[in-house]
Amino acid sequence: MAETPVAVSGGWAPLAAGLLGTLAVAAALFDGALAGRAAGARSRMGRPVGEVARLLRQRRRTTVAADRLLWRIGGAGLLGMALMIVTVVPLGRWTLFDLAVGVVWVNALDVLAWAFVWLTGWGANSAYAMVGGYRFLAHGLAYELPLMFALVAPAVAASSLRVGEVAAAQQGLWFVVWMPVAFVVYCLGVVAMAVWGPFSPAVGRDVAGGVTAELSGVDRLLFLAGRYALLAAGAAFAVPMFLGGGSGPLLPAWAWVLVKATALLAGLVWLRRRMPALRPDLFMEVGWLVLLPAVLLQDLLVAVIVIGG
Amino acid sequence: MGVSGALARLALRHAHLLVIEVPGNWLTRVTVERLAAVRGWRLAVSPADADILAVCGSPGPELAPVVARLWEQLPGPRARIDVTRPDLAAAALDQAEAALRDTPRQRRDSIARDGRGPDDAPDGDTALAHGSEDRDGLEMDVLHVRLGPVLPDWPAGLVLRAHLHGDLIAEAQAAVVDAGHGPAGGVQVGGEPSGEVRPADAAELAAQRCDNAARLLALVGWRDMTQQARVVRDRLLAGERSAAITELARLRRRVRRSWLLHWSLRRVGPLPPDELARLGLAPELTGDVWDRLNGMLDRAALAAGGPAAVAVGTPVGVAAGVPVTPPAAVASVVSGWDLATARLIVASLDIAALGVVTDG
Amino acid sequence: MALVAVAVVAGCYLAHRALAIARRPLLVAPFESGWPPEEHALSRYHVRWYLVTVLFLAFDVEMLFMYPWAVVVADLGATAVVEMFVFLVGVLVAVVWAWREGALRWV
Repeated sequence: MAETPVAVSGGWAPLAAGLLGTLAVAAALFDGALAGRAAGARSRMGRPVGEVARLLRQRRRTTVAADRLLWRIGGAGLLGMALMIVTVVPLGRWTLFDLAVGVVWVNALDVLAWAFVWLTGWGANSAYAMVGGYRFLAHGLAYELPLMFALVAPAVAASSLRVGEVAAAQQGLWFVVWMPVAFVVYCLGVVAMAVWGPFSPAVGRDVAGGVTAELSGVDRLLFLAGRYALLAAGAAFAVPMFLGGGSGPLLPAWAWVLVKATALLAGLVWLRRRMPALRPDLFMEVGWLVLLPAVLLQDLLVAVIVIGG
Repeated sequence: MGVSGALARLALRHAHLLVIEVPGNWLTRVTVERLAAVRGWRLAVSPADADILAVCGSPGPELAPVVARLWEQLPGPRARIDVTRPDLAAAALDQAEAALRDTPRQRRDSIARDGRGPDDAPDGDTALAHGSEDRDGLEMDVLHVRLGPVLPDWPAGLVLRAHLHGDLIAEAQAAVVDAGHGPAGGVQVGGEPSGEVRPADAAELAAQRCDNAARLLALVGWRDMTQQARVVRDRLLAGERSAAITELARLRRRVRRSWLLHWSLRRVGPLPPDELARLGLAPELTGDVWDRLNGMLDRAALAAGGPAAVAVGTPVGVAAGVPVTPPAAVASVVSGWDLATARLIVASLDIAALGVVTDG
Repeated sequence: MALVAVAVVAGCYLAHRALAIARRPLLVAPFESGWPPEEHALSRYHVRWYLVTVLFLAFDVEMLFMYPWAVVVADLGATAVVEMFVFLVGVLVAVVWAWREGALRWV
């Protein structure tokens, strides 16, 4: 058994936030490079830099009779949520917040995405934005339960809800190897939470950008940054849950955590351009009749192995 | 001014444009899109997302106020360009860039807009939604939302007034903006903005099918394939025929092989032949959205590949190559579907020109 | 970390105040393809998947029991596994029934 991580003081929180920010920016750069290559644009790098500059320069808008407070809470919420998730992700030997129920903490936070995305759609008093917001809820109904049951599998195997102990329980064999279904479902959940790629109908072109239809300036910047940050936080949390935490040869544990998180994040970003979106109405049946039974079977298998071994 | 100047320079590398196509100015719109992409600019999905309002063609009396309203919804920095001919597109984009770069001017513009509320909807004038029974007999609010003329990946000039129960279109009425003011005395055609009915050549016909396919693929959310379809479109228009044919073949293969796309589009908006005949739609639209997407790409390949039917270089009459879609038929086929599906169905109709007959 | 989150958001807003071409938000009508909206969009929205929400709620409550169970299942052994999964199968049967009734389809 490897040593479980020790909690460091809250003064390190800016560093953790900085690391998450770096991951998110890297994801945005990679996505921008992919998009630029596909479009044959002259300048392929630096797309997110230009985008940030554009949005900082752009004026904010508010719509007639908007529910402004809720609207802004929704817009900034995703970023806050991502930051709170990484507090329980151990970086090698250190963690910010060594919570005994760390897994439940992340679960409780990821449900907040429902509120934030929906509020962003609701607050604008715009028909397209509202349709987008409700689309996200429809997706949520289908992805959330499988995601929750996917998080249970590593917890069962480690007999603990403490993220550090879950990571430590994977010495020798990563959980991703013997619980691949839970891992895939978890990744789907992360992608969905970030309203990303196949789960983007809530911000779809067909409803003029959906929940983002009325956002401009820094409000849009925060919402977009929140999506990237969530994707990055989700990838980071997968490392202690499924990818063996900081274990690996040569490099120190903290470096391995970053390497694994970056690799998974790159995969999720790449996925975006490669597949069509999953329509919420069709995905509902998939979520309930395919993903949910599959992940429950996975849980059963894990439980049987645990009591047998 | 150092910081704001640098910021403006960075921002301008990725400006977003909201493109408005006046019916009949298809080539102008495509040119603007292509040149913008080369600059690294992107297409905006809503006015909030846009820096540049690019009007392709001269808007008629109905479209002009729509454009003006959208112009007021741009957050600023903002620039409006009116592109009336494809060859003017490059200069217009330069002009937009210069306007956006001028920070003092943008500040003045922005300050001048303060205190002027939105023209059409002061707080008191917009009604609250009223209830109506949905199909389960529950009373819920109905929203009347007009789709078009300005919406991403939407046929130029089409307006659908939808009665929305949630996102379900309970019923819809269709119209075409500036229906009596279109070129050629009413029937809009793809091609020249000058007003005469110009026979579209085979490459253009194929390019337009690719453009429509790109729109459908964009609505489906498949970015790589959308891009691919646009590349084929631009190559066809640039006269790079053999490269276009190769890439089109690849595109068709990848679309056909995607089980996810098939699963997503099959059984959506099925139209049997007798229904098509009743609605006045072309018989090649038989089947569901999946069939129609593949049909669209097949027609593109046929027109680009140049078999005897559509000889390359030989002008093909618009009437022969491009059926005119009656707007009422569009309203009819989307009724009862949800917004997302309805958008897919509209895009799958491969609309090249809209008839001017409107229904009530 | 909550403080950091607040600081990041506040920092973004401050940066925007300093850099944007105008500080005050612009009041506009919501986008509706270029038309003025006929009604306010804030309304009683037809959520046509309302049946699924009930199903979700049932499962979600069940899910809460899963966490404490996950911690102790290794100690309690086979009985705990059997009990939990018999219960889960019961709930899944309800899902299948709801599916057959068409609760998962609405378009």
